[in-house]
Amino acid sequence: MWKSYNFPVFLLSESSTSTLQEIAMKNEKTERAYTTNVAEFDVVMQTTKVGTHDSESCLKEETCLPLGGYSRKKMSFANRSDVYSYGDITILLRGGMLRGGSVWSALPPIDRLSSNQSKPIILAVASMDAQSFFRDKSLGADSPISGMISLLAAVDALSHVDGLDDLNRQLVFLVFTGEAWGYLGSRRFLLELDQQSDAVHGLKSTLMHLVMEIGSTGRGLNQGNKTFFAHTEVSSASNETLDALKLAQESLKSDGVTISTANSSNPGVPPSSMMAFLRKNSSTSGIVLEDFDTIFANKFYHSHLDDSANINSSAIVAAASLVARTLYVLASDNKNLTSSALSAINVNASLVEELISCMLDCNPGLSCELVKSYISTTNTCPNHYVGVVLGEPSSTPHPNQVDDISRFVWNFLADRTSTPKGDTSVCSQDCGKKGGVCIRAETDGKGVCVISTTRYVPAYSTRLKFDSGTWQLLPPNSSDPMGMLDPVWTESNWNTIGLRVYTVQDAAYDRLVLLGGITVTVLAYLAILLTRAYITKALKQD
Amino acid sequence: MTVAAGIGYALVALGPSLALFVSVISKKPFLILTLLSSTLVWLISLIILSGIWRAFLPLNSATWWPFAILLFTSVAFQEGLRLLFWKVYKRLEDIMDAFADRVSKPRLYLTDKMQIALAGGLGHGVAHAVFFCLSLLTPAFGPATYFVDRCSQIPFFLVSAIIALAFVMVHTFSMVIAFNSYAEGNKVDQLFVPVVHLAAGMMTLINFASGGCIVGIPLLYLMAILTLMHCGRMVSRRLTENHRQGSS
Repeated sequence: MWKSYNFPVFLLSESSTSTLQEIAMKNEKTERAYTTNVAEFDVVMQTTKVGTHDSESCLKEETCLPLGGYSRKKMSFANRSDVYSYGDITILLRGGMLRGGSVWSALPPIDRLSSNQSKPIILAVASMDAQSFFRDKSLGADSPISGMISLLAAVDALSHVDGLDDLNRQLVFLVFTGEAWGYLGSRRFLLELDQQSDAVHGLKSTLMHLVMEIGSTGRGLNQGNKTFFAHTEVSSASNETLDALKLAQESLKSDGVTISTANSSNPGVPPSSMMAFLRKNSSTSGIVLEDFDTIFANKFYHSHLDDSANINSSAIVAAASLVARTLYVLASDNKNLTSSALSAINVNASLVEELISCMLDCNPGLSCELVKSYISTTNTCPNHYVGVVLGEPSSTPHPNQVDDISRFVWNFLADRTSTPKGDTSVCSQDCGKKGGVCIRAETDGKGVCVISTTRYVPAYSTRLKFDSGTWQLLPPNSSDPMGMLDPVWTESNWNTIGLRVYTVQDAAYDRLVLLGGITVTVLAYLAILLTRAYITKALKQD
Repeated sequence: MTVAAGIGYALVALGPSLALFVSVISKKPFLILTLLSSTLVWLISLIILSGIWRAFLPLNSATWWPFAILLFTSVAFQEGLRLLFWKVYKRLEDIMDAFADRVSKPRLYLTDKMQIALAGGLGHGVAHAVFFCLSLLTPAFGPATYFVDRCSQIPFFLVSAIIALAFVMVHTFSMVIAFNSYAEGNKVDQLFVPVVHLAAGMMTLINFASGGCIVGIPLLYLMAILTLMHCGRMVSRRLTENHRQGSS
């Protein structure tokens, strides 16, 4: 997929594909020798037209935009010489995609006003963007959306637990975007953490106790048993997490859930956001939860075929239960941990089903009840392509600058992590001052103010800087090893993309018709002259 | 269709009319006026017919008999208008003859009257060709072509151009026959024109059948050639009669 092709590739819908197949067959067995059916491609990529074939030049010429959060209208595509997109046989316009950033949320909410912000943090991480050859068909059901759904379901399960305030450690959930394109989200997050920007207010890298990433979980079903694997880097100290996982597994024994440590011959963690954390600080205690051990279980990794048929909801529910109980164990730091408390944490399987049908299917898609209760959107088919950054990235974007999935995740997390339950009021100016956020602002106009610590974090490459209206490419920095390998993905500006198929006649046939028309006219003229001469002669005859 | 093909189709439909216009009609201003007014009358008849038939649209294209009724009513209406056209022309002829007498100039010759009839018929024919063929060509310029399922051997535009040419011939020469027959009071010829017009219209219904255009179009041309020959016979008869009258 990373290869460069010098021809456009179109992905057509089912109906268009069958139409095109019919037409191609007609071409094969045509009775008329002078006609053929042809296809006309209408695809204009500004970078190709202008000749700026790499990110640096196209950013300078403003013929492209960098991938990441907070984009607005023009879409883009990764900077390859020609592009591919999802097309319909008549006209295609995928316009107006808005991008969002990564989202983080704390459970229970961090008290901004309190000076006691020194609880160690347990970070649970997932990602919400996918990639495929066709940017409009990037569902990423198994990799990584199944992990995100597991995390959201785990948050929902934990939100019903009492006494989280009294636990020794703070739980923070983090959903990155842009991970499929060089781990933009995680790298930018860590940079913002270093810079202690507004977006990460309340978090400190010194407080990070351990990181648990939930990778793909949708294919963990093996003959009725749900098996998952914990991948760690060789040198990191993650025994505590592994013990917690074992405890959680014990409590879920009746559901047939198993978690094992990944094979020691594996070279560390699989491709994941954890890599960014480990490159920054190799002693970070972290594990990556996946549904595979030595080789990927997802044969449609980064493919447009990684859709809801590729995953199993019971595996996701199992992973979510595992994650929820493990996080509880970790947060309680073994103090007053009772098996009854643990078995009270249950994941709502119908919520998982609903999330799958909202995030990974076109029907009902984003017009499902769950999504509609938080955000208003005109799209129904979900798509998890990261999009582009338009304008200046900020930590408080306007809701209409953020894409549907990010807005939904933000609203969902804010709602689930809010306290106390039921104490809500209509949104007003001082909602933020009270330490609250406005959720459901799009559905009923005003919104509801809840006390929650949920923020957006911009997601774009650490090698980019937005300076006085244009994007500058920063030179590779040796202190940012992942940044040194980052090709800085950008998407060309493009116009309407379309594909037309029609019948054409041979030019020779056209010329024959023209000749025929002229001949008819000339013959008619001659006939008229002859008739006129005859009549005149007949009249003159005497 | 491409520009070259488009011009070709337009010439097939309207080339002979153009030739006739250039060689005969354009020489006399009165003929040009006759042509224009007859075109207008024909178009108005179409507007009135479409106004009446609007209430019955859309017609079910699976059956052919609603179209037969449509054609029958349209032809009947247009033949009625032809009669009206003749009456107006007769009045004009009387006025012109009276004027010629007053200024001591010769009256309208037989050939002049026939040319006026020809111009009238050509007006009808041109209106038909423009409305039913040219109007299809103008929005269709582009790289592609189009074939209809039921007549898939030749492009749709070529079929419509060929049919338009046939109708140009039918309309042009029918008017000459009609005017002459009204002038002479020849009942057979007076009936000939509406019958041929109706028959030509009904022939086009054969195109509804799959592959029907292979049969329908030659039959249509048979009608057109029949009209042409009948007109030729009639004209030559009248001219020789008149000539004999004049010289005797």
